[in-house]
Amino acid sequence: MTNSSARDKVISYFFLIIVGVLLASPFLYMVSIALASDATTVKSAFTFVPREFEWTNFTSIFTHNNLGVYLKNSVIITVFTIMGSVLSASVVSYGFARIKARGSRVLFIVLLSTMMIPGEVTMVPQFIIFRHLEWVNTFYPLIVPSFFAGAFNVFLIRQFVMGIPKSLDEAAMIDGMGHPGIYLKIIMPLTYPILAAIAIFSFSWNWGNFMGPLIYINDPNKMPLALGVQLMTTVGGGQMPPWNLVMVASLFLTIPMVLVYLFGQRFVYEANINGGSSGIK
Amino acid sequence: MRRGDGKWFYLFISPWLIGFVGLTLGPILFSIYMSFTDWDLFQSPNFVGLANYINLLTDDPLFWKSVGNTFFYALISIPLGMSISLWIAYYLNKKIKGITFFRILFYLPSVVPVVASSLLFVHLLAPTEGLINKALRIFGIQGPAWLLDPTWVKPALIIMSLWGVGGGVVLLLAGMKGIPQEMYEAASIDGARNTQSFFHITFPMLTPVIFFNLVTGIIGALQTFAQVFIVTSGGPDNSSQMVVPYLFQNAFQFYKMGYASSIAWVLFIMIMALTLIVFRSSALWVHYEEGKAND
Repeated sequence: MTNSSARDKVISYFFLIIVGVLLASPFLYMVSIALASDATTVKSAFTFVPREFEWTNFTSIFTHNNLGVYLKNSVIITVFTIMGSVLSASVVSYGFARIKARGSRVLFIVLLSTMMIPGEVTMVPQFIIFRHLEWVNTFYPLIVPSFFAGAFNVFLIRQFVMGIPKSLDEAAMIDGMGHPGIYLKIIMPLTYPILAAIAIFSFSWNWGNFMGPLIYINDPNKMPLALGVQLMTTVGGGQMPPWNLVMVASLFLTIPMVLVYLFGQRFVYEANINGGSSGIK
Repeated sequence: MRRGDGKWFYLFISPWLIGFVGLTLGPILFSIYMSFTDWDLFQSPNFVGLANYINLLTDDPLFWKSVGNTFFYALISIPLGMSISLWIAYYLNKKIKGITFFRILFYLPSVVPVVASSLLFVHLLAPTEGLINKALRIFGIQGPAWLLDPTWVKPALIIMSLWGVGGGVVLLLAGMKGIPQEMYEAASIDGARNTQSFFHITFPMLTPVIFFNLVTGIIGALQTFAQVFIVTSGGPDNSSQMVVPYLFQNAFQFYKMGYASSIAWVLFIMIMALTLIVFRSSALWVHYEEGKAND
């Protein structure tokens, strides 16, 4: 090994460690606050390196706060939205990838162009629609739209399906199989990796979604964690929010995301390669 | 095209088609109509013509302030975040021991839900007890009151955005791995040093990814919401108010549905215009390999 590459190594480690410490320290601070006692919290005297280890914070939050309810709500909402986004996008993408029909090209262009419209444009009218349906304060406005196939997901799966040889379908067609059979028995099983990626995207979007619940849910018993944890900080009467418990709840919000990323990154990378580097969030 | 395929096509795409009509097209048309009314959700809407737009563009200083703040935030956080992520990706591309650990570590902050990172940064940015000012004190610097100081609140939000810079790094890293090694070998035979091959090979080859990061970055920055809502509520003195929080406030706190709709359309036009400008400019600086122009 030459001198310059040894020097290069030292510089690289030096840089990576410094930036690594900068990026990791907020996580450590989060844990430190979560482990602080109530007395420390009232004084806001948090330290970077934990001095106290109030593990009871992790249990008392379930009894004194609504954490269990928030968690349950988050799980229900994410499970259904994942199901909805994966199923609907899978079915729709088969139509766009494999069936030629009058208007299919135009409709695909329409689908792609809907990706350019910011959600804020449809936010207010959608609220009015869901309010008319008397769905405010229910999970429906958060879950039901996911069953109508997101354009980005459809596009991603379609790109993937386009890469599957058409001879497979043609052989099945000669054997007398129709579109439902080809979709269910041939194409859909081959798209599992990309469907997994979409499940992960859908999880990360819905688990942390804040604006949707903020608009539709007022009842604390129906709030998902992302909204519930924010509610914990809005205590009235000049009181100090229970920051240690807020950070416990934030950890509960964060850890599933980290785990899903660690176990699912393989699928996400694959989706990125196949989808032509389109979006990690 | 086979007979009967049309029926199957429409059956397969029906979930999207129904959603498009009911949740996208319908609401878009409704939103256009609403933006010409003064609807407050409780009384029947009055048609007011262009009044909302005229009011918004000529007589609403708070709207312009929120536009200014949004652009300030975008104009600094995007180039800063992109240069830092390029720098990070360069080092994460090294073949050294433990690099996988660093890759995971650098990406993790970007998976933290924005609600959690917002609540955390309230503490990191606290005036005396906050970790950032404590760290600055070690170097003898008295940090500002960040979130309480009108001049420092936007830089504070920008610092917050930099924590999640790893999201864009992943794509840059993938792009770097796609650059043929022979190009570097050829360059080093020609006597190019590391910095030269970075600016003459790595950077040009990465411009498609940089372009993608730039476009998504612009769209994301103009839609900033939760950070402002949770960390600053737009304060102090509206110096961190941004377009989407302002839209939200008008719709769901003041129940000015018509006015909020007109803000949404102005936002749409801003996003469209900026995206188009970037797309147009891409011919000048985005490098595509020959034959791959349609990628």
